[in-house]
Amino acid sequence: MRIGEIIETMSTGFVAESFELNRPPALGSLVIVRLPAEVRGASAGMDLYAVVTYGRTAGLDPSRRAVCRSTDTVYDQAIYQEHPELKRILRTEFGAALVGFFADGQVLQHLPAQPPPLHFSVQTALAEEVRRFTDRLHYLRLLLTISGEVSPLQVMAANVREVYRHRGNDRIWLDAAAREIATLLKNDHEALLTVLYAIDPGG
Amino acid sequence: MHPVYPCSQFKESGLPLKLGPISQQVDSMAQTTSELSLVQEQFLEQAQAYLRSVSADALRQKLEWHRRQQIRIPWLVAVPHGSLADAVPAPSSLLPADFCVVGSDASSIPPDRHSSIRYYVLNVGYALLIYGRHPDAVLEAESQLCFQDQDLYVFPEKCDVPIEGVLLGARMEVESLRILQRVVQSSSRPTVALRDGPLILWTLQNESEEVQQAILHGFLEAMAFLRQAEIPLAGYISYTDSRDVANSLRVWLCQGRPPDECERCKSSERDLCLALAKIRDRDLFGFLAVGERSELFGSSSQILERYGEHRVDFFYLNVGEEVARVEVPQWVRSDPELLHFLHAAIYDQCRRSPGFPPYPPALLEAHEQAVITAAERRLMEEMVEQALGQVGQRIVRSAKDDSKRRRGV
Repeated sequence: MRIGEIIETMSTGFVAESFELNRPPALGSLVIVRLPAEVRGASAGMDLYAVVTYGRTAGLDPSRRAVCRSTDTVYDQAIYQEHPELKRILRTEFGAALVGFFADGQVLQHLPAQPPPLHFSVQTALAEEVRRFTDRLHYLRLLLTISGEVSPLQVMAANVREVYRHRGNDRIWLDAAAREIATLLKNDHEALLTVLYAIDPGG
Repeated sequence: MHPVYPCSQFKESGLPLKLGPISQQVDSMAQTTSELSLVQEQFLEQAQAYLRSVSADALRQKLEWHRRQQIRIPWLVAVPHGSLADAVPAPSSLLPADFCVVGSDASSIPPDRHSSIRYYVLNVGYALLIYGRHPDAVLEAESQLCFQDQDLYVFPEKCDVPIEGVLLGARMEVESLRILQRVVQSSSRPTVALRDGPLILWTLQNESEEVQQAILHGFLEAMAFLRQAEIPLAGYISYTDSRDVANSLRVWLCQGRPPDECERCKSSERDLCLALAKIRDRDLFGFLAVGERSELFGSSSQILERYGEHRVDFFYLNVGEEVARVEVPQWVRSDPELLHFLHAAIYDQCRRSPGFPPYPPALLEAHEQAVITAAERRLMEEMVEQALGQVGQRIVRSAKDDSKRRRGV
């Protein structure tokens, strides 16, 4: 399902405008940019995989800040009914970090040679695609290197939660992911605890 | 106490504007304004008392007498259609369950006298806001590069009367009304059409009859369409400077023939009359409660002689912390249903305003669509230069413009 369009792109990731206001894809979820063969310049297409690193809703025009619009009787969702122009002057965007790609029947967990093209669609990943991509966990190393408003530790924890759910609460995978993270963060005990507390799927 | 900036500080900074002496004058202006406002306050109360006591019929007769005697009144005056000081509350219950408000605004990149190529750009923005069970919005602009003779001259066949300055302003006003005509056709719900600015195109007053007619043609055509479609139309003027009603009170107080006899005037109301010259209608109607409007007034603007059945009247409306002037064609004034719908919709717009004092969101968003930023202006200039360069043409600029751009030392 198409959920957004790329409005900024670079080798490490992209920013996309969400088609739904106030509903960016879940933090940490896997999204896909599908490149047809002709764009890739090859005989077959390629799917770029990325992990959502943040979501944000603000004025479309950066020089116009959102202002408080609620009254005693009009608040929350009713504000959007009362001010229909909001859906045209606000936008929700999300950032995603590239973590690998699927091409020529292979999953590769490193950065692609080219950033995805501007204005291309961002799509949700099917459960089967999530499973195929996350069978290996090398991509978690790429997540550790991201920079942004949300810390890489929280993005990683969110990703593990999302993938666990998409894989049908796959406990074996979760244990493997926890071990991989423990290896990655073996020199930083506090950071490891931060991620493990944030994962905590049992509540 | 305002800080006094030492003159030397600004001399050292090399600013051409001598802010040192200016800062003392700013203090002096602030002091004078505050003293005057106390005096004005007293006169305003007197003027409002007159507004309540003067019979609208008697004022109408006096204005009519002046007109018949061909005594020229040197000010724009308001001819009351109803009482002078009655207030009409906002008929909010008359709003339909589903309705639309369309607002429009326009801006331009004017022709550059210092450039060898002549063109201008019009950008007309609109906002169609749909309220009710299925709220939605369309925010758009139509941009046009005007470079052909029919765009550049009022009379293209003679290449006569270039469209610039006042006439370009008038062309923008016409286009912002024509876009309303086009946009309302996409609406199946009861709709109100608002234009940012007046419907009385008084800036055309000093133009020849032929120019007035040529420019007004499209304006009146759009008004005729809206009338046919029974869509109430209004020009909305925020923080109006108008003094029409205050001027009518001056005529009421006057025993002679203004302005020739003003210097010899011995009337006991002379001070009030002079004070009225500084009182704006927005202050005069400051007694209106939020949502209330005044009765309607006719305008004495000469340009309205060209409007025929679309002659424009106006009223004042307290939208909350501001009294706005609303101009409507007489076919809106004479149809209570259209007038009530318009009044209710404008007040409702202001109730929905994100800012304070309120301003109709349909006009706010239309403005945002219409506005041309400084960066866009530069980009436009570069696009034209590039396109001309590709066909071997070069833009020649005046020496003055060139030196201003270079600013060599």
